[in-house]
Amino acid sequence: MSDLTDHSPEDDLLAAEFALGVLADAERAAAEQRIAGDRGFALAVAAWEERLAPWAAEITEAAPPAVWDRIAAALPADKPQADGIWQNLAFWRIFALASALAAACLGAFIYVGAISQQSPLVAAIEANGSRAFVATIDARRGTIAVQPASYAADATREPELWLIPADGKPRPLGMLRADRAVSIAIPSDLAALTVSNAVLAVSLEPPGGSPTGQPTGPVIATGKLTNL
Amino acid sequence: MDLDANRSLIAAALVHIPAGDRAALQTVYRLTSAKLFGVCLRILGERSEAEDVLQEVYVTVWRKAADFDAARASPMTWLIAIARNRAIDRLRATKQSRRMDPIEVADGMADSMPTADIALENAQDYAKLHGCLGGLDPRERAALRGAFFDGNTYEDLATRMSVPLGTMKSWIRRAMIKLKSCLQQ
Repeated sequence: MSDLTDHSPEDDLLAAEFALGVLADAERAAAEQRIAGDRGFALAVAAWEERLAPWAAEITEAAPPAVWDRIAAALPADKPQADGIWQNLAFWRIFALASALAAACLGAFIYVGAISQQSPLVAAIEANGSRAFVATIDARRGTIAVQPASYAADATREPELWLIPADGKPRPLGMLRADRAVSIAIPSDLAALTVSNAVLAVSLEPPGGSPTGQPTGPVIATGKLTNL
Repeated sequence: MDLDANRSLIAAALVHIPAGDRAALQTVYRLTSAKLFGVCLRILGERSEAEDVLQEVYVTVWRKAADFDAARASPMTWLIAIARNRAIDRLRATKQSRRMDPIEVADGMADSMPTADIALENAQDYAKLHGCLGGLDPRERAALRGAFFDGNTYEDLATRMSVPLGTMKSWIRRAMIKLKSCLQQ
């Protein structure tokens, strides 16, 4: 990542040592302090964690005992505290997302709202932290409208939309456009799966769509359906 | 390329945690706890210790989910880093590493590719890292392995490999520079 080079080689080695875990006591504590206050250093550590993480594939999975109840009991009663240095960024990102979604759905909301008592299902389909597409489900008509946002057209491949319900298996919904919104009729067998918390994903496919019925190209953006 | 549906599901769930969504944290737990418990167990060696740390890991995920940036890290990378760091902190608090047996280095022998769990990891990333590790001096690779999998400090590794501390530091630092350069290619 080219934007991670604004620190010295010595700092990068320190980041590597922290990520690997070889620092002891005082040095480790000092590095943790720097992570909390120095974004460039924190990113250098994150880059090293990214480099080393694939090694964990060699660690065998082990079924944990039922720890979930203990975790649930240990969670603070209120929302997670805003203590990270990126908190503000994350907050504003969510705020901007919520505003954009509200704007995108306002029309549908006013129109459908009078007829349907249900709040509309929407998803911000994000790639690298920016909104690639915004999807809105019209439950009454059984359609999904997908508006391009920051998505930039690929030279040879076309964006295809997939629904990933709770079972994790992708189902094709249809082809998207970079230059305008499309409205796709949701196949009747997928209507029951198009619910809150289902994931929408966009992959790049040959013109006309995946020849196999499963994604064949890279998944470039994902988002979760949420009741607005 | 297959769609890594798990990755999408984990990332999608993480996004909902900062709003206080416990069901989202439970989804992350369901999808990742076996892997993260494996990581804790590998570093700590004792089930009861690993269970305690696993609990800390998910409470940390709850607190820090707003810091997760899908643009910069894969969700599993982020979670594995939290699990390793919590397990290493626990190890350091007990003042002794679990694994302190001497590390023997077989001359010039590259590790064969072990059976890796690539369900949650990117197979290409793993193959590339494995290839780059294979290009290191066997002593350097053995030292990195002791740090990554056993949570050893520089001092632990110097003891286990019977070399002065300064030598161990220069081995690891040289290895990390080589590793970074190789992974960039």
